[in-house]
Amino acid sequence: MWPRPGGFFTSANPSATPQLGGVPGFRDLLPLEAEILREAQESLLGEMRRWGYRHVITPLVESMDVLDVGLGIEQRRRLFKFTDARGDVVALVGERTVPVARLVAGKLRAAALPLRLCYAGPVLSTDEGRFQQRRETYQVGAELVGASGPVADAEVIALAARCMEATGIRRYQIDVGHAEFFQGIMDAVKLPDDVKAAVRSALAARDFVALEALLEDTPLKSAEHELLLRFPALRGGAEILDAAGGLVRNRRSEAALAELARVRELLVAHGIGEVVNLDLGAIRDFDYYTGVIFEGYGPDFGRPVAQGGRYDGLLERFGRPAPATGFMVQLDLVSEMLTRAPRPPALPRLDAALAWSGPGLSTALRLGSTLRLFGMRAVVDTESRSTSEANAWWHAVGAANLVHCLSDSVVAWSATGQRTRRLPPEQVAARLAGGVS
Amino acid sequence: MTSAEQVAIAVPTGALHDGALSLLARSGLASLGAEELGRQLLVEREGLRVILVRPSDVPAYVDHGAADLGIVGKDILWETPGAHYELVDLRFGGCRLVLAVPDASSLDGPETWPPMIRVATKYPRTAAAWFESRGQAVEVVQLHGSVELAPQVGLVDGIVDLTATGRTLRDNRLRITAVLGTSTARLIANQASLKTRTAAVQSVVARMRKASSDAG
Repeated sequence: MWPRPGGFFTSANPSATPQLGGVPGFRDLLPLEAEILREAQESLLGEMRRWGYRHVITPLVESMDVLDVGLGIEQRRRLFKFTDARGDVVALVGERTVPVARLVAGKLRAAALPLRLCYAGPVLSTDEGRFQQRRETYQVGAELVGASGPVADAEVIALAARCMEATGIRRYQIDVGHAEFFQGIMDAVKLPDDVKAAVRSALAARDFVALEALLEDTPLKSAEHELLLRFPALRGGAEILDAAGGLVRNRRSEAALAELARVRELLVAHGIGEVVNLDLGAIRDFDYYTGVIFEGYGPDFGRPVAQGGRYDGLLERFGRPAPATGFMVQLDLVSEMLTRAPRPPALPRLDAALAWSGPGLSTALRLGSTLRLFGMRAVVDTESRSTSEANAWWHAVGAANLVHCLSDSVVAWSATGQRTRRLPPEQVAARLAGGVS
Repeated sequence: MTSAEQVAIAVPTGALHDGALSLLARSGLASLGAEELGRQLLVEREGLRVILVRPSDVPAYVDHGAADLGIVGKDILWETPGAHYELVDLRFGGCRLVLAVPDASSLDGPETWPPMIRVATKYPRTAAAWFESRGQAVEVVQLHGSVELAPQVGLVDGIVDLTATGRTLRDNRLRITAVLGTSTARLIANQASLKTRTAAVQSVVARMRKASSDAG
């Protein structure tokens, strides 16, 4: 007889098995991951609060009317959209700067500017992305609305740097560029309009081979040609500003360079001069950003973990013209980086496993309350157990101490690597809470 | 992960393999025998780490940062666009992505295409985008090998495939009716590598750029 077909992909009744893995692109975070993510989020929000940023919570769902105003066509295409019971088209947010802008122009319109706001929450995208196949990710961000100029730009960049530090990331780096530097070059460069459009899209795709081909075919060569061709290499310290200053001949780019020089000085004063690089070839969404832009990189990680910049045009579209700058941190990437660090964080252990037998239950419950009052993590068993059963349960839950409550007056206390002792419960509570073993 | 000074480069197996190794040697970066790399898959030489991967996997290694640089055919980049920087046309491995039909087929220019054309290809995304940009409805059958066979057995009207000399097409009694694009080997770079280890990565890029333009 042939063996029955079987194995991982064969189930006796596949339609009866629910999708235990969840929806593709959406992830469960298990206790360790969830703990690391939550702590990183607290560290980020904590640092933002220390800089005077107020926490706001905007909904997961936004009206498409609002998102249409703030988002580009590509971003809108990737939104989860649906109609609510009233027939309005709504979407799950794909980023949280536009909702904050709506808030500033709406419910907060009476609030004096500048406003410092921060937020944290999931963002969703129908596109799984190429890196992690994730459609739900977590972002923590800060926005400084109503302040223009290098002082505000530098504040937000320094805050981003301190935020990365606060999560425990070591050896990070911030790249600072300026959207106007590129816009000035595009104004000044002598090219037909259709070639200019092709140059923009080649740069947006980071395709320097196509860029080179486009620029080679044009008869007019200028300093701006040279700058465009060298775009990915226009990075460095203050010296890069002089080098670029010698090549540009247009006011927009020159103003951008002057602003970057000032921002750099201020970042040195903020105490983060050594993690800052200037990147004149930074390529970002130039339809959205209007001034200083920046990205934060962690060690040995192929993508930026923090991104931000000045977007002076957005608030106006909501009817409250105001300059604004801000950034967001990809919380998923931060926690991934922390998990991969040489000494990854471990899940905090339970302090006490409280087992009981017969009349010991009320002692166990009392002891649990006492230990928790002292901030310890204590779990009380759900059933009566013998000594050997209690030991097995202790190892299964993985706590530092086992307290087996036998009666009102006696408990058996075992700590890792120590002999079991019989003591009154009050003494055990005092010793555990006092950190004495 | 690589150390601060070491640069990792992903080199493809297949048609671009010999050209890639020869370029590395001419750039003075590493002289590697195809046999040695084929045996070890990962070889470290004078500050350079060379990783041997399948051609279509090169963008994945570079985009994730497992390799700072990668040598890859433009045809692969059409099919899997990514967040990397495409820096240099390395000017070898030239070939064309073409639409080919059986010699006996009545199909030729767009005016002869049926309302819905069926093509077999290893490049479903590129093929679909090309036909769609011409307003032509297309049904793409994705195959993983021996694409030339598909029209001969009546599976499809034609194929979209890469050809260097046209020899395989002729051998299978297929003729070219349109060229979708021309491809050469490209040097791509991880965006973070360019920013966080600029000097080391740019020096390798500069040497490869020079060696490839000297030859071309």
